[in-house]
Amino acid sequence: MKSLLKKLVKPMKNKLKYLTKISLNKKIKTKWFLIANICLFLLIIGLVNIDNIVKFFGGDFEKTTDILVIDNSKLELYDDIETYYNEYSKYIEDMNNTRISLYNYDIDKAKEEVKNDDSILLIINSDSNNFISAELVVNNEIDPIISQIISSSLNTVKTNLALKHYNISEEMLNSVDMPVNVVRTNLDDSKSTDEMMDLVMSVAFPIMILPFFMLTLFLVQMIGAEINEEKTTRGMEIIISNVSPKVHFFSKLIASNVFVLIQGIILFLDVVIAIGIRIFIGGGSFDNITSELNLSGVIQSLSETGFINNLVYIIPITLILMLLTFVAYSLVAGILASMTTNIEDYQQVQAPIIIVSLVGYYLSMMAAMFDGSILIRLLSYVPFISALLAPALLVLGQIGVFDILISIIILIISIYLLFKYGLRIYKVGILNYSSTGLWKKMFKAVREK
Amino acid sequence: MLKVENVSKYYGTLKAVDNLSFEVKDGEIFGLLGLNGAGKTTTFRMIMCLIDDYTGKITLDGKKIDYTMTDKIGFLTEERSLLTKMTVLDQVKFYGVLKGMNEEEIENKLDYWLDKFSISEYKNKKIKELSKGNQQKIQFICAIIHEPKLLILDEPFSGLDPINVELFKNIILEFKEKGTSIIFSSHRMEHVEMFCEKLVVLVSGKSVLSGYLKDIKDEYKKKNVIVCGDIDKKKVNNLDGVIKVEKEANEYIIKIKDSSYVSKIFKEISKFDNITKFVVEDASLNEIFIEKVGEAYEK
Repeated sequence: MKSLLKKLVKPMKNKLKYLTKISLNKKIKTKWFLIANICLFLLIIGLVNIDNIVKFFGGDFEKTTDILVIDNSKLELYDDIETYYNEYSKYIEDMNNTRISLYNYDIDKAKEEVKNDDSILLIINSDSNNFISAELVVNNEIDPIISQIISSSLNTVKTNLALKHYNISEEMLNSVDMPVNVVRTNLDDSKSTDEMMDLVMSVAFPIMILPFFMLTLFLVQMIGAEINEEKTTRGMEIIISNVSPKVHFFSKLIASNVFVLIQGIILFLDVVIAIGIRIFIGGGSFDNITSELNLSGVIQSLSETGFINNLVYIIPITLILMLLTFVAYSLVAGILASMTTNIEDYQQVQAPIIIVSLVGYYLSMMAAMFDGSILIRLLSYVPFISALLAPALLVLGQIGVFDILISIIILIISIYLLFKYGLRIYKVGILNYSSTGLWKKMFKAVREK
Repeated sequence: MLKVENVSKYYGTLKAVDNLSFEVKDGEIFGLLGLNGAGKTTTFRMIMCLIDDYTGKITLDGKKIDYTMTDKIGFLTEERSLLTKMTVLDQVKFYGVLKGMNEEEIENKLDYWLDKFSISEYKNKKIKELSKGNQQKIQFICAIIHEPKLLILDEPFSGLDPINVELFKNIILEFKEKGTSIIFSSHRMEHVEMFCEKLVVLVSGKSVLSGYLKDIKDEYKKKNVIVCGDIDKKKVNNLDGVIKVEKEANEYIIKIKDSSYVSKIFKEISKFDNITKFVVEDASLNEIFIEKVGEAYEK
């Protein structure tokens, strides 16, 4: 018995290895894999360096926007406005392209300049109730950041006027303005309490979700194409006469998941290289990205709340969920591929897989809107969706690590059941060339041991 | 030796193979014949372990065929079973490794066979770039490269010209000489007649005719008399023992009930002018097949 087992297992192991190698080579050692990855590489470099690319092709990027100030308040406020404007704008790189100046001519002439040069006209008037009022004249739209800085500068000037008027010292004002210090204590350490998480969701999470979604598509399509190629050419009969359907199924699962890992690593390296190129060419430093996304602020805030420390378990848990979900998707794709008789049929049956994946994608993006929803929480346990939804809810603090562990356990059980019953379908499906009575055959296969 | 004993297989309520038994000894070529849907492919699939939910017993050299045994079997399917995007070398390596060979050994043997089939230049070409006949040669090489103990050939001559049919035939006979058991299936009865010593004819999964070809022909009493000359077809048709008279090119084929009528018919035929040929032959396998299959259907 032992020798028979040895006789059967060792060659099967070698054949499994060989089948896996052949499947992977068919996908990786092709010019199309190379071409697709070169295109992805260029695309990622392009996206990460888009500002440098835009600047490289030229354009009127150095144009300075003039802010013309007419001070009708008779309070001689211009110097203060200029000081505060420059103070506020120095933190924002693009604001170097604005120039504020006092305009000494009449309003009509100023409006003419606004029309001709796209300048911004700021007219300050005195106001009996509110110290000052202002009018902003522009030819068309105004950069919201410029508008915000002008508004902040005017508010500060107005505050100074009020301090003087009511004889309030700056110290007094500071103590009035000082916010109440609220110390938050969260009894459940696993849950996040930080409001910045919404920003994390909108900025950082798509970085993980989109590649995951893309890799799922690669995985599903690879298995379908592989199995259907072997079925349509009847090569399947030769293969299955030499290895068991179980070994064949395993080889497809391993090959497709290894392929997805390789592709994922390549995508990660693409991003690293793209960022390296951005830093190397200097023109647009990496700080641009962080400042545009306000990442430094986010990172600081996350660090203060201890979120960064939580990443130590959030990242591995998310990766485990994603890897297990890849396995689950590959099982379903393999089972469906075995049931179809050609690639065209498979393309139709793979649609539900894509839709399920999309549901997970949208739910995770909308998770923040349904805080406290029991349905969303329950959906985070559902296999295929959980890899996208559960980490999102964990980041938002809507679920804890225990919930994620439940998702993982449910996913593992689903994988086991899919393998157990799916293999029965696979065994019958791969040698079935007719779509007549297909579902009947498959249900019968599931019932039979 | 392959032994198929009382094997039956149902697809739902349909009995695809009905209590089939036969054996193929070492160095024997066995014909498995039947119309489309007669159960030939199902039988091959059962032998190849592709179907395991059947009743009865299939053994090779006394052992039940399972995945420890399939390395000893070569299988040439009726449809092309080649992965068309692969090169010839990769394809043969692929199937060879699945048969337990190592890649170096496969390449050496492939060079030999490609040379034998005069297609060495296609070694690194993709399968899809090859003609139908050359694809069939590659498929054949895949089936024999591991020198199987049992070789199953389902329509091996499909797409081949007469020269290549002859080449295939010689190689098959070489394997027979080496002691390989060969199962052969074809719709072309002249091919079956050319090779098979033993055969079974299936109708709806049931054996309607089986045994050694010589015995089958001997048992089949009807004979054909081939005549060349100016005979009166109508008169001959009315002779005692004559079933029918057909004209093929310059010859008349007179089908008779059995050999006891030969001398009487000879006397009558010799009365006609310009008789240059009078030969008595056994009925062809094709005739036997049509009659046996037809009878089985009528039943």
